[in-house]
Amino acid sequence: MAEAVADRLRRAEHEFGTGDLNGLDVARLGEGEPEWLARRRLHAWKVYETTPMPTERMEEWRYTDLAQRLSIDQLDVPSIVTLRDDPDTWPQSLKRAMGDDPETSGHLVLLGGSVVYTDIQPSLASQGVVLTSLRKAVEEHPELLKEHLATQAVPPEEGKLQALNAALWTDGIFLYVPRGVRLENPVRVTRWVSRADAAYFTRTLIIAEDTSQVSYVDEVLSEDLDSHALTSTSVEVIARDSAQVQYVAVQQLGRGVFYQSAQRTLADRDSTLDTLNVSLGATTTRVDLNARLLGPGASSNMLGLYFGDGDQHFDHNTSQDHLAPATHSDLLYKGALDGTSRSVFRGIIRVAEKAQQTDAYQTNRNLLLSGDARADSLPKLEIEADDVKCSHGASVGELDEEAIFYLMSRGLSRNQAERLVVLGFLGEVLQRLPLGGVGEKVTRAIEGKLRTGAHA
Amino acid sequence: MPNNELVEVLDLDQYKYDFRTDDKPVFRTEPGLSEDVVHAISAHKEEPEWMLEFRLKAYQLYLRKPMPTWGADLSDLENVLDQIYYYVRPQDRMKNSWEDVPDNIKTTFDKLGIPEAEQKVLAGVGAQYESEMVYHSLKKEWDEQGVIFDSIEDGLKNHPDIFRKYFASVIPPADNKFAALNSAVWSGGSFVYVPPGVHLDTPLQAYFRVNQERMGQFERTLIIIDEGAQAHYIEGCTAPVYSTESFHSGVIEIVVAKNARFRYTTIQNWSNNMYNLVTQRALVNERGTMEWLDGNLGSKATMKYPSCYLVGEEAHGSILSIAYAGDGQHQDTGGKVVHAASHTTSSIVSKSISKGTGRSSYRGLCKVYEGSTSARSNVECDALLINDTARTDTYPYIEIEEQSANVGHEATVSKIGDEQLFYLMSRGMSEEEAMALIVRGFIEPIAKQLPLEYAVELNRLIEIEMEGSVG
Repeated sequence: MAEAVADRLRRAEHEFGTGDLNGLDVARLGEGEPEWLARRRLHAWKVYETTPMPTERMEEWRYTDLAQRLSIDQLDVPSIVTLRDDPDTWPQSLKRAMGDDPETSGHLVLLGGSVVYTDIQPSLASQGVVLTSLRKAVEEHPELLKEHLATQAVPPEEGKLQALNAALWTDGIFLYVPRGVRLENPVRVTRWVSRADAAYFTRTLIIAEDTSQVSYVDEVLSEDLDSHALTSTSVEVIARDSAQVQYVAVQQLGRGVFYQSAQRTLADRDSTLDTLNVSLGATTTRVDLNARLLGPGASSNMLGLYFGDGDQHFDHNTSQDHLAPATHSDLLYKGALDGTSRSVFRGIIRVAEKAQQTDAYQTNRNLLLSGDARADSLPKLEIEADDVKCSHGASVGELDEEAIFYLMSRGLSRNQAERLVVLGFLGEVLQRLPLGGVGEKVTRAIEGKLRTGAHA
Repeated sequence: MPNNELVEVLDLDQYKYDFRTDDKPVFRTEPGLSEDVVHAISAHKEEPEWMLEFRLKAYQLYLRKPMPTWGADLSDLENVLDQIYYYVRPQDRMKNSWEDVPDNIKTTFDKLGIPEAEQKVLAGVGAQYESEMVYHSLKKEWDEQGVIFDSIEDGLKNHPDIFRKYFASVIPPADNKFAALNSAVWSGGSFVYVPPGVHLDTPLQAYFRVNQERMGQFERTLIIIDEGAQAHYIEGCTAPVYSTESFHSGVIEIVVAKNARFRYTTIQNWSNNMYNLVTQRALVNERGTMEWLDGNLGSKATMKYPSCYLVGEEAHGSILSIAYAGDGQHQDTGGKVVHAASHTTSSIVSKSISKGTGRSSYRGLCKVYEGSTSARSNVECDALLINDTARTDTYPYIEIEEQSANVGHEATVSKIGDEQLFYLMSRGMSEEEAMALIVRGFIEPIAKQLPLEYAVELNRLIEIEMEGSVG
């Protein structure tokens, strides 16, 4: 069989020719992998090649000019890093970020596109909880990965970038929580990206079995880069019957980085699957989040927070798919925009004909802090069932002068008052998902941005 | 949830305009569209050379532009467009007295109640039958004050300067595929000019009737409300029901000058075999006010988004939209407000009702350009679903480039709730009465803005007595 794979890869090399980012990478990555995975990569690459590059003429990319913001062809895929699990060699800011974290159930560190460190509480490991790199999981849990990796949740057919990720991923996170196991503290992932002109493709696969409970916090950081880089992640989260899952992604990348994240959550009967996306860094952020409510009684709270300054560009593309009766979803995305930054929120609630007794809500609120900032909001509804409670709202406005006046009358300076109002505005999102230390960390980051921005 | 029999009792889908008139047009082009058809239309209208050139250019644009892939399902439309008559001339020339209108055509409008309404409540009436205005008349008192209310063709002939200044200035042919098509083959529609300071206290009305099978109607209307003037224009549309599809694609251009105020009311009640793809836009200058009241009740598929381009400071735009989608209908409607000046304000209120296999979609845009300081806009969309096979969508686009803007959008979807029904029935109402009351309450904010006759027409549709409705 190994011979057959090698042969296929040789042919792949032949077919794809040369270049910085091409089928060679697929072949290189496939080396030493089981046949099913090598085949999946090749298939994903085919999908990538046959899917047209998104342009602003496509509804989903109407406000983000991908070609102008990302030159995929000029990036290369760094080789898989051989494990450097000596924390002494890690960047200071990575260590600082980790040092701020309170109690954890387990911790995993990625440098670039590779997992370099994993630890999990032994008591959890003995209950069957798995927290490991995706590469290891391919060897140790082939059946689970075969079934769930890039299949139901984020298959390559989802889009050009999703296909590219499925073809070229180098590593990622696999988290498995067995039936009935409840994790008291969050699982934390810290990522560090340091190289410019590189494209990092990673994946996250989380499976929470029946009645289990887990929260997961994924933080990605980098310095500002001289030229551009791509950080691409595909996130697949599966909550089985009555499981409770919280997924949090905090993005604090430096300027120059294009952050692309395709996330899909699958919520089975009576499960709760909540997400929070915090976007503070990177030059361009594109998050596609699709919440699927597959079983009766499933529920998803979807929270988002973004704060832009300079020339940052945020594009959050969400969908709430109600596919079973008596499902519930509630989305709140809030953002503040300073400098010449720009945000796009595109959200859709789809209620299928059979999804009666559904409650679905969607709110997007934007605060413009500068005359050159821009916010576009497209909250959409497609409702095919009649017995539903469904509403959405969107707003764009400036700081509430009355609130500022009130605070100033209590002795605060204008700057202090403005900062307080912005923090209060964004804080609503964090309050809805109080999760070990995330709120404090994000608030500090926002305060930092407010200090360096025009509103300091 | 009300049962289906009850929904039937409400008789929401009764279409009372399904009568045909036998007549022989004096001229019609061959089915389908070609450059020859464009030439023939222009020649029949004895147009100046520039208009023929304008039409031919627009025709080329139309051919080049792709069919929209969003909105209503237009997959069958190309077939329809190959088979319809683009120009049907029902009589030799337009009349200014009903007596002179050929009997069969006059009977049609009698049945629709137009001459009667004209005497009672209207300042002027235009009636279009197939491709041409067959009747146009303005009350003498308004004529004397310099108001112009003419067919679009007579506007071009008799007032070439104003006409050319404004024609296609608000909606250029390249705006969209169907604006290009209309620009190539337009025929009929009104030309309205209200001089500075003149306040028309009763509405002008244009009535559009398609009688023939496989007909394409391409009305073109140009309305200029000069400084400080006020007017209200009402448009109604009906057609008999045929098994083949017909097509209506209008272009309505409106200029509201400084301090002027204008309201445009549409009650679209085309038969369910009609594609209705209309471009309507108003340019609103300093302190001007534009109000669209857009009622879409009929047609197979409608795509129509009345727009206000607020280009002068303190201009105001308002769009009230009501849509009813019964079995097999898709109402893809809404509105656009574009704020391109400071202190401009706008509001969109949309109410839709979907029943059976009907689908109503709100599609809207609120755009605030940078530098349009202190713009304010509010959008509210409410959808009512009458039963579980109906569908509703909301597609708002909000694009804000200005910090001092204040923009909000809210939408809700609801059904007629068992609790509401139960409550009303516990107060002694029958189930039908209770349902009717709920529907009436739902549309009331818009219905009360309608002129009485149209409120009545709306009620006929929903079989509700509006008198004494919730205040």
